Amino acid sequence: MAAQGQALDPIHQFEIQRYIPIRIGGLDLSFTNASLWMLIVFGAVAALMLYGTSQRSIVPGRLQAAAEMAYEFVASTVRDTAGKEGMKFFPFVFSLFMFVFFSNLLGLIPGSFTVTSQIIVTFAFAALVIGIVIVYGFIKNGTHFLHLFVPSGVSPILMPFIVLIEVISFVSRPISLSVRLFANMLAGHITLKVFGGFVAMLLSAGAAAVIAPLPLLAIVVLTAFELLVAFLQAYVFAILTCVYLNDAIHPGH
Amino acid sequence: MTGKTPDEDDPALRARLDRLSDTLDRRRAEDAADKARREGGKVTSSAMSIGLRAMSEFVAAVMVGGFIGWRLDIWLATTPFLLILFLMIGAAAGFWGIYRIAARASRE
Repeated sequence: MAAQGQALDPIHQFEIQRYIPIRIGGLDLSFTNASLWMLIVFGAVAALMLYGTSQRSIVPGRLQAAAEMAYEFVASTVRDTAGKEGMKFFPFVFSLFMFVFFSNLLGLIPGSFTVTSQIIVTFAFAALVIGIVIVYGFIKNGTHFLHLFVPSGVSPILMPFIVLIEVISFVSRPISLSVRLFANMLAGHITLKVFGGFVAMLLSAGAAAVIAPLPLLAIVVLTAFELLVAFLQAYVFAILTCVYLNDAIHPGH
Repeated sequence: MTGKTPDEDDPALRARLDRLSDTLDRRRAEDAADKARREGGKVTSSAMSIGLRAMSEFVAAVMVGGFIGWRLDIWLATTPFLLILFLMIGAAAGFWGIYRIAARASRE
């Protein structure tokens, strides 16, 4: 019964397991299942890009076409959103997009671990993005970067409120960026697991076993939907990174 | 014989040409439908991404506003006035964020 209860527990899949416990000076640096899947995701991205760019044939094979498509897609996203100057951040945005996309995608394999379903991972990405925006914004524009919070053409009476609102909306950026990705991944995987639990419960419920295929069908549909969400979340993460970088490059718009 | 174009007097050839143009028309219609479907998919997914952004933008702004108000309340011992005030400012920031997303989306 205990084993069955664990199998039906929809949260169990997000548990961190320490494979190789490492402790250095009070810090828990263990090699966990999250670390393992980060390495797998990194390996998959690196393999795709290295193999995809090694052939250099005029008529691309499947993997080369996939690598080129990913490049074209992210490059056009960066150019459309952050302009030509934004292209100096292309390597950063591309790595971010590919890592998030592959961890979302590999997380859909049954039995795997979804790196992006851990809020600390997504928050680290979001903090990195906002950190780069702030540092680059100040290096490039100096104090002019603060004009981001002071829109032009606002009456002086309203100004304190507008500045306050702008500051709150800036502070909420890393939170919305990280929570959106994390919550979508978490909710999607819990939904899949709950529907899987329905199948198991119905099968062991006597006559009700007749309707057991219904949640199974729902899982098929939901998996297709989750594939869309996996791509969409990586896309939203990349495009918002570009939007925020655009603020750092051209403040005061 | 020499003055006439061949399709005017050769029924077999004309039938074949008609069939060919029929096939071409059908193929073109299929291509157009395919393209429309693909464009439609793109529109749906970009609309979905805008929706996701608007939702989380609003929620995060209200949360951040509430958090700032809560901490300031504890610090300045003014419970609960600053919490209420900053929740409202957070909501305003959320609406402002949604307005910006919508303005950018409708400009494109």
